[in-house]
Amino acid sequence: MATVLIENLTKIYPPTITYPHRVQALGGVNMSVTGNVFVAVLGPSGSGKTTLLNIVAGVETPTSGSVRAVHNGVPAQVGYVFQEPRLLPWRTVLNNMLYVQDRKSDRSRREAEFYLTMVGLNEVAHLYPSQLSAGMQQRVGIARAFLVNPDLLLMDEPFSHMDALTGRSLREYLQRVWLHTRKTALFVTHDVSEAVELADRILMLRPGGVVFDDIPIDLPRPRNPDDPAVRSVERDVLRRFDSMEAAVRFGAHAQ
Amino acid sequence: MTDVANRAPAQPGPNDPTVFASGFQEVAALPVGDLSPAADRSYSAPRRVLRRPWVVQLIALLILLAVWQYLTVAGDRVPSIENVVSFMWTEITGGSHGGMLLGEFWGALGLSLQRYAIGLAIGIPAGAVLGLLIGASGWVRGLLNDTTLVLLALPAVVWAFLASLWFGLTSTAPIVAVVLTAIPFVAINLSSGVRGIDAALVEMSRSYKVSRRNQIADLLLGGTLPNALTGVRLAFTTGWNSLLIVEWFGATDGVGWRARFWYDALRYEGFVGWVFLFVILITVLDRLVLRRLERRAFQWNQKPTLSFAEDWGM
Repeated sequence: MATVLIENLTKIYPPTITYPHRVQALGGVNMSVTGNVFVAVLGPSGSGKTTLLNIVAGVETPTSGSVRAVHNGVPAQVGYVFQEPRLLPWRTVLNNMLYVQDRKSDRSRREAEFYLTMVGLNEVAHLYPSQLSAGMQQRVGIARAFLVNPDLLLMDEPFSHMDALTGRSLREYLQRVWLHTRKTALFVTHDVSEAVELADRILMLRPGGVVFDDIPIDLPRPRNPDDPAVRSVERDVLRRFDSMEAAVRFGAHAQ
Repeated sequence: MTDVANRAPAQPGPNDPTVFASGFQEVAALPVGDLSPAADRSYSAPRRVLRRPWVVQLIALLILLAVWQYLTVAGDRVPSIENVVSFMWTEITGGSHGGMLLGEFWGALGLSLQRYAIGLAIGIPAGAVLGLLIGASGWVRGLLNDTTLVLLALPAVVWAFLASLWFGLTSTAPIVAVVLTAIPFVAINLSSGVRGIDAALVEMSRSYKVSRRNQIADLLLGGTLPNALTGVRLAFTTGWNSLLIVEWFGATDGVGWRARFWYDALRYEGFVGWVFLFVILITVLDRLVLRRLERRAFQWNQKPTLSFAEDWGM
């Protein structure tokens, strides 16, 4: 169980050759997440969601402000599921799993096989990523994130490149594995129904990187997106999302 | 009835790797079929045979021999195939070429292969270390990248002459020439491989705090292997050229010297025979060792693809 404390976090990208202007991705984000909760960060494109996760993961550095992701007073171990699977194409599925392990022992191999089984992929552990479909590759990405026994699970729109059926199937896998482990999770999405199906709490991020709303989702698990109760909450969140967009006069809309 | 049953698609069993707990059958995991022209049933049987790689290579060899035979018959400047084969047989068996001259095949070949192996054993690791440094460090890149590119642009003959000038008629000269030829090829290819490693994979490694050991073994070596193999193949072929040139001009033994010896003695069948030997040796090395290594290294990338030529039935 991890605690994430974000205070007045800003990120400004300097001008580049292709875009000669400064870009403010995050404009003073304040939030805290603690406990075995699944938090969805919901926002339209350009609201700084990926930047936020990258800073929490330590991949990017903030312009100002502070981020602390700790577990029992030490930096939290992070498991990151990216938009695209980010697998080593020249290593088998099993070796991609073992890549993030410090020691390639029999025990870590058994753990890798356990999580591959959880996502229904144990039978293809010997194959290379190019021999798998996009959905299967992303399932490897999810299994890899759980394999490191993360204190904090970060997921950056992991199903956004999938078709609707594959996305639905992957959400089922994710719910199954998360219910088994109940890790602290930060899940970035621009899809309201996805956020409602998966999260205990939704943080709405508006363009310019500022938290606009904090919505608790009190629904039993596992959730079915066709459940009327889930649909009702989804409509409510969508209304609030629309009001945020109207407030910032942003043209884009959620799915 | 039986016929219909035989044609029905096989049902996936519980151990079928394409069926998962979700009940989804994902076709991407199905075995990859052979889409090579030789296996394409749309070609007639004779065309399928003609498109087999070994048949194509045999045809190419027969054409070469036919052209050679024609040149022999048409003029007196090219020795006949029969004379060359006979001459090389005498060289190989240590027989007499007339007078005191005896065949010296194995001694010359062994010496040259020894020099070649030592040169590559020094040049390839040295080039690899240089390439990794140039690829990984901006400072080293600024310092050495342009110099290495210039060295790459120098033809093998320059290295051969320089080595001969520096070390004279010794065994050191051919070895140094092979080393100096191999280093820039391996270094430049490997450095571009290091710089070409996907930044997304580097970010993933950082977010998971992947150990240095795993990053070097799996990300760095795995990601640069295709470039490294290209560099090694080039080092093998250009290193061999370089060795032969040094031995031709600045040695008193080895296969290059032996070819020059027969050239100076106006025994053109000997000269042509040795030149063919150079070609055969490097071809065999490439086919039996380097290409096999390359295929093994690229097994992760063997997807069914259809080339333009295959699509057009060529």
